[in-house]
Amino acid sequence: MIRRNQRLRREYLYSKSLEGADRAQFEKKRRIRQALEEGKPIPTELRNEEHELRRQIDLEDQERQVPTNIVDNEYATATIREPKIMLTTSRNPSSPLIQFVKWLPVNLNIMFFAPYCCSFLCQVISEIVEACRSHDITDLILVHEHRGKPDGLIVSHLPHGPTAYFGLLNVVTRHDIKDRKTMGKMSEAYPHLILDNFSTKIGERTATILKHLFPVPKPDSKRIITFANRDDYISFRHHVYEKPGGPKSIDLKEVGPRFELRLYQIKLGTVELSEAKSEFVLRPYINTAKKQRTLGA
Amino acid sequence: MDATAAADKGEAALKLLEYADPSHFLSPSADLVTAARAASQHIYSSLVPLSPAQPPSTLLTDPAFDAEQIWSQIELLARPLLPHLRRQLRRLEQQPPSQPQATLPLPVEKPADSEEEEEEDGQGSELDELKELEETDDEEELSDDEEDEEEEEEELDQRAHKGLEDQFLKIGEMAEFLDKGDEEEYGGGANRGEEKKATKNWMAESDDEGDEDRDEEGDEDLEDFEDDDEDGEGEDGGGIMYKDFFEKSHNRPAKKRDGSTKKVQFKEDTHTMELDGSENDDGNVEEEQGLSTHEKEQLKARAKIEQMEKAALESSAWTMQGEVTASSRPINSALEVDLDFEHNVRPAPVITEEVTASLEDMIKKRIAEGHFDDVEKPSLLPSKAPKEHKELDESKSKKGLAELYEDDYAQKAGIAPAPLAISDELKQQANTLFKRICLKLDALSHFHFAPKPVIEDMSVQANVPALAMEEIAPVAVSDAAMLAPEEVFEGKGDVKEEGELTQAERKRRRANKKRRYAASHKERPAKLQKD
Repeated sequence: MIRRNQRLRREYLYSKSLEGADRAQFEKKRRIRQALEEGKPIPTELRNEEHELRRQIDLEDQERQVPTNIVDNEYATATIREPKIMLTTSRNPSSPLIQFVKWLPVNLNIMFFAPYCCSFLCQVISEIVEACRSHDITDLILVHEHRGKPDGLIVSHLPHGPTAYFGLLNVVTRHDIKDRKTMGKMSEAYPHLILDNFSTKIGERTATILKHLFPVPKPDSKRIITFANRDDYISFRHHVYEKPGGPKSIDLKEVGPRFELRLYQIKLGTVELSEAKSEFVLRPYINTAKKQRTLGA
Repeated sequence: MDATAAADKGEAALKLLEYADPSHFLSPSADLVTAARAASQHIYSSLVPLSPAQPPSTLLTDPAFDAEQIWSQIELLARPLLPHLRRQLRRLEQQPPSQPQATLPLPVEKPADSEEEEEEDGQGSELDELKELEETDDEEELSDDEEDEEEEEEELDQRAHKGLEDQFLKIGEMAEFLDKGDEEEYGGGANRGEEKKATKNWMAESDDEGDEDRDEEGDEDLEDFEDDDEDGEGEDGGGIMYKDFFEKSHNRPAKKRDGSTKKVQFKEDTHTMELDGSENDDGNVEEEQGLSTHEKEQLKARAKIEQMEKAALESSAWTMQGEVTASSRPINSALEVDLDFEHNVRPAPVITEEVTASLEDMIKKRIAEGHFDDVEKPSLLPSKAPKEHKELDESKSKKGLAELYEDDYAQKAGIAPAPLAISDELKQQANTLFKRICLKLDALSHFHFAPKPVIEDMSVQANVPALAMEEIAPVAVSDAAMLAPEEVFEGKGDVKEEGELTQAERKRRRANKKRRYAASHKERPAKLQKD
């Protein structure tokens, strides 16, 4: 296990070092391809390598045409496997928090739903992470609260992955919306996702983090989960839709909790690493904080 | 006759001047000039007998004389005359004629009368005289006032002008009231004559302005003044009472100059008199009465300045002290103060109906389009080889049926080598490549040595040096591709040349050769003999 980790780390560093050269090669191939398509003469600086590069272009398939980006490398294998999620809370959770966590619609592939008070769960966060890794869990989600109101969400991708820290605002639980009888049971189908207005680089990164919590849905699934970014506040909505009269009329029924997420940190390591590098940290006390929009226009 | 005629002429001239339109005087006219000269001559001659010195009897008013010369003649007359007239007046004052005295109107009438007389006497060009006369009138007024006051002090019940006064209005009391007001306003010492009058004028002006200002600023100062008046009058504490006005009270608070009322005022109106040092009250009281308004204001300003200086020297409240930690301010004081921060963060969004509606619209639109951001399944690399499609060859086979059977038998018997299991050439190539790769991987992953396998590869090798192949050839050419000597050699065993053979071996070789030749020749003659 240790040696495997060391090897993975060395691989990561090596691929990172190759990234620069890789990008240059990709650029050259792209230029040659473009020249060939347009029928223009190949640029002079590429004449020597043109033969070799042309051969490689011919042998390339769809995957190799795009240069590998090591930032999202953590999710390279995520699409192959289905996500396995471990959902837990902070120490001594109150009953409203447990209720909230129970109805979070991420409970599709939850292996362990263990709200921290269970005795079999480890007490220390590093041990929790180790246990999750050994059980092949892909994501660990922690929910924090303040006097019954959930106020923090930490999403950590497990094999050395990135960790995103969110603050929760305006939480409306299923109890608050309506009584449970009218809502009925929550559908368990794999949902479709809508990620709206994540246009910057950090926005794209957050979008991938949130996206890979869910498995690949069937095309005709009726369940929709929305993450809409308005002004750096991500609104989470969970709907079930019907098309009663033909394809044009859509009837939305809101199901499940509703809250606003506010991203305040992304770290390039798992939760228990205190010295992990920060990819993004929210800075609300600088003078231009009002003008900044980090997640998207 | 001449005198009367002249007098008549003079009167007529005077009348003409009197009734002339003033605007006529602005433009030079000969009529007016002659009338003026005649009038001045008449007046001069009427005044001459009165003069103690003896001026020339007639005024020379020929057209040759100009205004300066006529004026100097008049001066000769007037200069000794004026003091004489003043002496006369003083005598009249000191020995008033036996007539009932009207106190107030008299002074008004007297100056009016005397002014009229003087006007008639010295009309036209004697402005200085008039001014001097006015001054004397003022002095008369003042002296009259003093006389009036003294009279009032002595005889309170003496009432003149009973027409004006009635049950409510007593002129004497009114005068007293006014005097009292003056004293309170400007401090005591009402008998200061011109100084008082001067201050009175100045204070009148300033009062007018001051009242306006105070009305604008606030009611405090007005209240102060009102309080002074009220408290001074009503010693019962409070407002003005009926009995203060309409009943005879022998103790006139205005006449009390000992300042007892002032004392009361000092102690009651602490906000009006903010003097430090209550010990100095008694001394200050006496001084206060003598201060003018300006000095009072100065005192107030000084008091304020001292207060502000004291406040400035002290340390300010904790809210004004810049960076303050919790230890340097009282407990929980930050909770009570209304602090104002500039918040740089955008506030959290309030989820209104419109926001929810807009979100739902967006969701509906996406559903209608079918545009979702789901996780996509990756395109998997094929793990199995695609199925082989056996193509049936329609053309006639070149091999005959017997040959086909022959090949089958050979395969079964194991004589002929098995034909290639995979038909396609590409597949063959791929296979070899894969074998090579597997070999390398195995070598990498194992520690024990495995030699390279022999890959049978059939190809025709011509024993010709490369130079002979093409005319145009690359320069660097090796003959390593040629056949090796042992590949060229056909034979067995140890090869020896003719020179290397020993005698015994030579004999043996010859014997073998004879034997072979003999065997083959035996067959031939048999054939030939038959022929």
